[in-house]
This record gives sequence, structure tokens and C-alpha cells, in this order.
Amino acid sequence: MTAPSSARIIEGGYRRFEGVRSGRRGAIRSVAIHTTQRALGLRRAARYKILPVLAALLAYVPAIVYAGLAALRPPDTFFDNQFLPTYAEYYFFITSAIVVFAAFVAPEVLCTDRRTGMLGLYLASPLTRYTYLLSKALSVMGVLAIVTLGPPLFLLIAYVLIGTGPDGPADILLFVVRIVAAGALVSAFFGSLSMAVSSLTDRKAAASAAIVVILLLSGVVTGSLVEGADVSPQLLLANLFVLPFEAVIRIFGESTEDVNFQQLGATEVIAATIGWCLVFAGVVVARYRALEVTR
Amino acid sequence: MAVPSTASSVAQGEGVVKRFGSTTALSGASFSIGHGVTGLLGPNGAGKTTLIGLLLGLHRADAGKLTVLGLDPARLGPEVRARVGYAPEHHRLPPDVKAQDLVRHLAEVHGLPSREAAARASDALWQVGLGEERFRPVGTLSTGQRQRVKMAQAMAHDPAVVLLDEPTDGLDPVQRDQMLALIRRVADEFGIDVVLSSHLLDEVERSCDAAVILSEGRVVAGGTLDELRGGSRGLVVEVTEGSEGVVAWLRRAGCDVNLDGGRLIVTRGHAAAEHDLHDLVRDAVVSAHAHLRRVTPLTVSLEDVFLDLAS
Repeated sequence: MTAPSSARIIEGGYRRFEGVRSGRRGAIRSVAIHTTQRALGLRRAARYKILPVLAALLAYVPAIVYAGLAALRPPDTFFDNQFLPTYAEYYFFITSAIVVFAAFVAPEVLCTDRRTGMLGLYLASPLTRYTYLLSKALSVMGVLAIVTLGPPLFLLIAYVLIGTGPDGPADILLFVVRIVAAGALVSAFFGSLSMAVSSLTDRKAAASAAIVVILLLSGVVTGSLVEGADVSPQLLLANLFVLPFEAVIRIFGESTEDVNFQQLGATEVIAATIGWCLVFAGVVVARYRALEVTR
Repeated sequence: MAVPSTASSVAQGEGVVKRFGSTTALSGASFSIGHGVTGLLGPNGAGKTTLIGLLLGLHRADAGKLTVLGLDPARLGPEVRARVGYAPEHHRLPPDVKAQDLVRHLAEVHGLPSREAAARASDALWQVGLGEERFRPVGTLSTGQRQRVKMAQAMAHDPAVVLLDEPTDGLDPVQRDQMLALIRRVADEFGIDVVLSSHLLDEVERSCDAAVILSEGRVVAGGTLDELRGGSRGLVVEVTEGSEGVVAWLRRAGCDVNLDGGRLIVTRGHAAAEHDLHDLVRDAVVSAHAHLRRVTPLTVSLEDVFLDLAS
């Protein structure tokens, strides 16, 4: 016979939570992390991972190849910095990856929440409409930053390896700041554009298509008007496809090859890019302020 | 830290007005919601969902005063919502997310640490009877199971009160009984106050301690179910002899007396407020030398009350 045990079941039902709650900041962090995971297909079926992986490959493979070539090149050979693209040039390599993310990430994270009723559940938490949008924006920009920040940093490593890059810690820091500023601006521009479009429709496919059409159409219309009809080159500030990349060229202090954009100053181009970001953000905020969420 | 509902009432409203454009959803609603299970009762379009939105701080009242757990939800919405669970009316939930992941995530959003949120999500899903199904994607669950997922996410973060918008909508009779039993458990065993909206009278009658009855944006009645059914409105008196004398005496005292077969339906009428109705009946019976058989509170079904108010 076994000895009587002193073990006993204290409670088998519901437990109160006596710990500390993380509040608004925790809610923003939680939604941003959850949204980023969803956008990247993490904790989801394999088919949801295909697009993010493809976009990341498009963005990183050239940068990794350049960095690898720079690291493995024989010393004192014909290699010089000519085989590497400039930082601003590299953005043209990753245009497709940026457009892919812009077209699919924001529709996935905004339209889905409205269609599935998650928006109502989020807004019944410590989040407000603004903090909800902030967490979504952090997530969208974060995902875009994977392709706008990472590859140029690889390029910086390549330049340093072949010895033609920035010289000394101060110079390296300056380039890091430029890379971060350019990456943040491009992420903010495409992120806010795609969020604005996604806020106007609940249909993901429609939002994705609209984003691509807006980008292409703005480029075609402004380009043909400036070149064909001699309209002021200021109209190019409405070329949503090229404008952010022209801003990147100016952030890195490089000169543009586009004859029409050459007529526009750096301040003008960068200010217009930031201005568009504010306009798109305004659309998103106005749309969400008016949304009815309890039904 | 979890704050139990120590406020004297869960929610209070005074002259609350809410308009959407030219439509007045609530026109001067005054109410008090106490502890336990309270039903927001009213036909579709009465303003129940609007009131829930106001309680959550998702809308701002155009006029009037509203408090939830002693706080103004329009001003301190995030603080209120951290202590409130909410299950919406719709059945749409992300179809490709597992029930456990959904409940855990929403518990985290309400401020619980990650590990605690995971444990409590699991507990909550067991409590609502979805322990075995908790790792299934929500899209593969039945309507009844989704209602339970909504209930689990509303209570997983240990709120002081949960707001349930039409929690039995779309359920078959068996599932409905189970849901109502679960709602009672949440209040009785877990100590969480519940406010549920419904247009089904018997549902409120079976599961609630009190009700707030809305009609066309106005609160037409509110109180415990006993009060609403008329427990304090009047008495049913049965006398075997001398009923005429009792009737005459009570009418002289200002009471309204109606004859229903052999029973006297006695209501206060113009009788002075300081007189207890039971005392008046006792004095009438003694004065008339009547033989008293039974005195019971005058009760009516909630449906009668509702129809009476609606008319």
C-alpha cells in the first residue's frame, strides 16, 4: 500500500491573471510582429511562403553575388570598382522585388483584417484606429525594408572588401546613414501607397492590381506628357514609379541619367517623395476614421 | 494587472445620444448595468450594437454621460478595452489561422505576456469545449465552434466584463443551450460580468440576471428580471370569503384592483408610497374579515413586458 500523499489539486478551473499587462505599446508590438509573420508566410502553409521568398531572392541574389565576387577576386587583378553598381543603381536591380512586396504585403495585411472581422477584434483591444494603423505601417515598412535595406548593406560590404568603398569608420557611418535613409524613404513611399490603395477596397486582388496599374500608369502618363507634349518637368514629380528611386540617387549624391529628371533639384525630388507619403498616409487615416467596425 | 470589476456597476449611461448622419441610433438612453449577466434586449435596429460600440469606446456619444467600470470609454478607450472582452456578432474570422494561435494573439494584444497568453489561450479553448479542436484552422470549424472561439478570445485575457453581441446567432437549439450554459458559467464560476445583446426574449430570460430593454434607440425599461416581470409591481391575492370587502377597502386606500376569476390583481395605483402593498392587503383582509388563501407577487413573462412596452 502506498503512503498517503500530501499532493492535492488546488484549482482546476479558470485562473485570474495577476501579472503586469503590456498596454498599448505591447499591443502595437504584438500586432506588428503577427502581421509581419503573416506577410512573410511564417506559421502558414507553404504556398504563402513562395512569394516572399521569391521577392527576397530577387533582391538579395545580385547583392550576394557582388559581395562574393568582391571577396573572392584575386588580388591586384583587373577587378576594380567598375564591376559593382552604385548604391542608387542597385535600386533598379531590386525594383521588381519592391513592387512585388508593395503589391502584395499591404493588401494582405489590411484587406484581410477587414474581410475577416479581425479589425473589429483589434479595435476592441487597447489599440485605437491610429495605433492599429501604426502597427500595420511598421509591419509593411519592415517587410519592405527587407528588400530596400538589406541588399545595399551587402553592397557596402562588397565595396569595403575591394577597398574602393568608404574609407574609415566615419565614412562607413555616413554611407550606412544614407543607406538607411534611402531604404526608409523607399519603404515609406511604396508602403504608404500600397496601404492607401488597400484601404479603399476589401478585395486583395483588386488592391494588388491597382497598385501595379497606378505605378505603371503614372510613369507612362507623366513621361509621355513631359517628353511628347513639352509639359513642365515638374510633372515628373507625379511619376510614382520613378520618383522614389530618383530621390535615392540624390540621397547618395549621385547624378541621374534621366534628362528630364536632371532639371529637378534634389530638395524638390526628396520633398515630393515625402509629400506623396503624407498624402497616402492621409488617405489611409481618413478611410479608417470613417470605418464602422462593430458589425 | 487584472482589475476585477470593483465599480458599483459595470456600466452606466445617462441621456446617451448617438447619431450617424441623419439616423439617430440612440436617443437619450439612460441605464445601469450591474454585476452578473445582463441582457441588452431589443428588436433589430433598436441600438444594441451601437450601445456596445459606445461601451467599447469605438464611438463617441453626441450627448450624455457614459461610464464603463467607472471610466469614460470615449476618453479612456484603451484602458477600458484592456479590461473588456468582446465577441462580435459576425462569424467571420481568419480561416487559415489555428484557433489556438488566434486566441493567443488576441490575448497578447490585450497585454498578456507571450507565454501566459499561450497558456491561457489553451485554457480558454478547453473551457469553451474546444480543447481537442484548438489546433484546427478556424475556417474548418462549424458556426457553433466559431462562436466558442469568439467566446474564448473574449475571456482569454481575463477581462472584468465581456460584451457578447448576439452570441447565439446561427446556432442550433442544442448549441444554443450549450452557449447559454457557458455564459452562465463565465459569470458564476469565472467571476466575469457578462453583457449580451439579443433579440430573443427567452434567451435573455433563461440566462440573464437583469436586462436593459431598448426600442428605437431608447431604453424603455431596465432592471433585474424580477423587477421587469413586475415582482414589485403588484400582488395576486386569493381569498375564499369576503372578497368584496377586501376590494372595497383596497380601492378606498388608492390601490387598483382587478378581478381575474377568483383572484384579485392588486397594484399600487394611487396608494401612498410609504405603505407597503403587503401591509395594505393584510389590513384589508383583517378589516373585511376575509379568509385569505394565498398572496403571490404579480409576475408576467418578459415577452409580456416587451410587448407592453413596444405597444
